[in-house]
Parts: sequence; C-alpha cells; structure tokens
Amino acid sequence: MNFDFDLIVRSFPLLLVGAGVTVQITAFSVSLGMLIGMFVGIARLSNTWIIKTLAAVYVDFIRGTPLLVQIFLIYFALPIIVGQRIDPFIAAITACSINSGAYVAEIFRGGIQSIDKGQMEAGRSLGMTWGQTMRHIILPQAFKRIIPPLGNEFIAMMKDSSLVSVIGFEELTRRGQLIIARTYGSFEIWLSVAFIYLIMTFTISRLVDYLERRYKIDDKH
Amino acid sequence: MISIKNIHKKFGKLHVLKGIDAHIAEKEVVVIIGPSGSGKSTLLRCINYLEEPTEGEIIVDGIPLTSEANINKVREEVGMVFQRFNLFPHKSVLDNVKLAPMTVRKMPKAEAEKIALDLLEKVGLADKAHAYPEQLSGGQQQRVAIARALAMRPKVMLFDEPTSALDPEMVKEVLDVMKSLAHEGMTMAIVTHEMGFAREVGDRVLFMDEGRLVEEGTPDEIFSHAKEERTQSFLSKIL
Ligand SMILES: Nc1ncnc2c1ncn2[C@@H]1O[C@H](COP(=O)(O)OP(=O)(O)O)[C@@H](O)[C@H]1O
Ligand SMILES: [Mg+2]
Repeated sequence: MNFDFDLIVRSFPLLLVGAGVTVQITAFSVSLGMLIGMFVGIARLSNTWIIKTLAAVYVDFIRGTPLLVQIFLIYFALPIIVGQRIDPFIAAITACSINSGAYVAEIFRGGIQSIDKGQMEAGRSLGMTWGQTMRHIILPQAFKRIIPPLGNEFIAMMKDSSLVSVIGFEELTRRGQLIIARTYGSFEIWLSVAFIYLIMTFTISRLVDYLERRYKIDDKH
Repeated sequence: MISIKNIHKKFGKLHVLKGIDAHIAEKEVVVIIGPSGSGKSTLLRCINYLEEPTEGEIIVDGIPLTSEANINKVREEVGMVFQRFNLFPHKSVLDNVKLAPMTVRKMPKAEAEKIALDLLEKVGLADKAHAYPEQLSGGQQQRVAIARALAMRPKVMLFDEPTSALDPEMVKEVLDVMKSLAHEGMTMAIVTHEMGFAREVGDRVLFMDEGRLVEEGTPDEIFSHAKEERTQSFLSKIL
C-alpha cells in the first residue's frame, strides 16, 4: 500500500475548515440544547400533569428515535408541511439542538433531583416561591454537579454532528468525503478526519475536567 | 396566633395525624414532645404547609391557609428551623441570611445586609459573615439558620428538633439563642427532646403519641404530674 503523506498535508487546510464548521454546529446545538434541556428538565419535575407529560413525550420521542431519522424528518419531511426548502445549516442546527435538548433535559432532571429536598423546603419556608427557590437555590447547586455529564453531551454531540453530512452540509466528515471523491485517498483522509475529531473531543474533555476542578475548589473557599 | 382545628394527615394509607386541635397564643412558647414517629414534625410542617393537611383547618395570624397566595403570605410570617439546618451551601453565611428579604420582600441590598449583620451579631456569628456553611460547626450552622429565619421578621418561629443533629457540646449555644428569642417575646413552637429546656422556657407542653395529642399542660403539670399513662411511660424512659 502506498501511504501518501503529501495528500494529508495538502488536504489539511480544507479539513480544518470542515472542523471549524463542526465546532460551530456543535456549539450552537449544545447551547440551544442546554436552554431547551433546562426548561424541559424542570418541566419534567412539574406538578402540572400536562406540562410533565408533554416534556416526557418529547424526551421519549427524541431518545427513542435515531438522530439520523430526526435529521431526515426536519430536512426532507418538514419542508413538505411548511411548503418551503430548509437551509441545510438551519436544518442541521435545529435537528441537533432538539436532539441535544432531550439528553440535556435528563441531565438537568437528574441534577435537580440530586439536590437534598431540604433545600427546596428551606427556600419555601422562607416565603420564596417555587421559581425563586429553583433559580437561587436549586439550579446553581445542580449546575455544578452536572458539568461532567454536560461535557460528555458536548463530546457526543460533536461526534454525532457528523451525521448532518448526509444532507450535504459541509462539516468535517462531509469535507473528508468530498476530498476522497476527488483524490481516492480513502485511508489517508479518514485517518486525518479521525485524528481531528480526536483532538477536538480530547480538548473538550480536558476543558471540562478543568471546569470541574475549578468549581470544586470554588466550593471550598 | 395559630389555631389548628381537627388536622388529619395521611401519607397514602398511613394515617399520621389523627385529628389534632391546638392553639398557640401570641408570645407563647409551646414545646411538643413525643416518641419518634408520633407525627410531631408532620404537625409542625402542616403549620407552614410544607405538608398539606388531608383534612382540617389551620389559621395563622388570622390568615386561613387555603389559597396558594395565602400560603406564601403565611410562610413569610412563619420562620422554620430544621433538624439538619438546610443552609444553602453555595452561599456565604451573609448571603444565606439576606437572600429571602431581598427576593421575597424586595428589600434593597444595603438594608438586607444590615439586617443580616445585626442578626448574625445577635446569634454571635458576626465574624463568620463571609464564611461558607461547610466551614462552620453544626452549632454555628444552626445559629445561622435561626438568623436566616429571623431575617424575614417572622411573627412565629417553628423549631423541629433543632439540636438533635448536634454534638453535645454545641447544644447549649443553640438553646441559648432560642432562650433569648423566647425572652424577647417571640411566639414559638418547638419540637425537642431537651426536657430541661422545655421545663425552663416552655409555657405549655404538648405530648403527642401515634398522631394524637394525648395531653397538654404547663411544664410542671406534664413533667411532674402527668395524668395520662402514656405520657408517664414516655417520660420515664427519657428523663
Ligand atoms: N413524606 C412522607 N411520606 C410518607 N410517610 C411519611 C412522610 N413524612 C413522615 N412520614 C411518616 O409519618 C410518621 C410520622 O413522622 P414524623 O412526623 O416525622 O414523626 P416525628 O417527627 O414525631 O418523629 C412516620 O411514620 C413517618 O414515617
Ligand atoms: Mg421529627
């Protein structure tokens, strides 16, 4: 077998552009997913039956269907309903955020439930409303605890975002495919793509470790 | 100040409170005693609606506990101190105390801080204002919890075994703070096993057993001349 190192060097800039897009789509999706997930996670703990059920249906639907199918639903099926083509970037971010939101919701729910019940009671007994107690007492404590699983979700999303290549969106994986179509350097390019993903996920996991340590130290004062 | 009428509480099939009638007058210190599991905590928690009574009526300072609005109103007037302190671990001592006045009463920060510092001074912890709960001993934490409840300027204070989680050498510092509150005329309902304290500070003692109010009277009536056999047998075990 002929290993063409030069091909790697030549393709790297293009792959890096793709990696930038991957970072973008992941950052957007996880940020939106966090917002969705926070509200849905809280909604799942609501005492109101309808809110709780809607939240549960959303989480179950997303977690029970493949992301790939969700992407198809939004990119191919949704336009039929709205009668308009959807931009791949919008479709990719929408699908990934909605997907991420469901997983983040479960993370938030677990984090909130892990906080001692006495905290809510102390807040309520002081006359604070449920919402005020959630905001000032429960969520800040829960948030510290869920940094590691949120980090994992970030990494998972980064890897799963490769699925949006199927709608022709040019992130890292799709870039790789396009270069291979031109150069037939399958081995070299997939190796490079894998390497770039690895560097990115590794960096995030270090970052999360750092955040976790910092919060732990913060806790002590 | 507080009137409790025919309160029943069930947890599923478990009938925990079986028709309690009681009254707490203004400036009165009522001590509730009884065996573990007799429903003392549940009764106390019904007063500020941390538990919703299955049946019966509770009126606090003329406000019947019915609507959500009333419940919040009452909670602003009723402070509660828990066995396990329940301080907010992510907030400094000062922030623990000033949070509720600021969020509930919309008090300006400077004013809330002043009140908080005064109260910390009162419970002897002014120098710990910027410490975090985990840096304090149990006794100190419980005193902060008392200051936190007082910051809302409550008309009534509820104490649920405030010294039960403390090492013996820290019990006194907490009881002393409670004593001085009693002397200032605070209305208090206290669940405790500290019988010496109950005798000294209590105006009235209620004895509960199996979800019922078995006997009530002055400390002397209960501790020295209990009429009910169940009261006598309980006291003989702990005195
Ligand atoms: N949230 C709850 N759910 C179910 N059972 C409870 C709950 N809270 C208290 N109980 C039960 O009610 C009974 C009385 O409890 P409690 O009021 O804590 O008694 P005490 O404070 O006198 O020890 C106990 O049997 C306890 O297990
Ligand atoms: Mg109890």
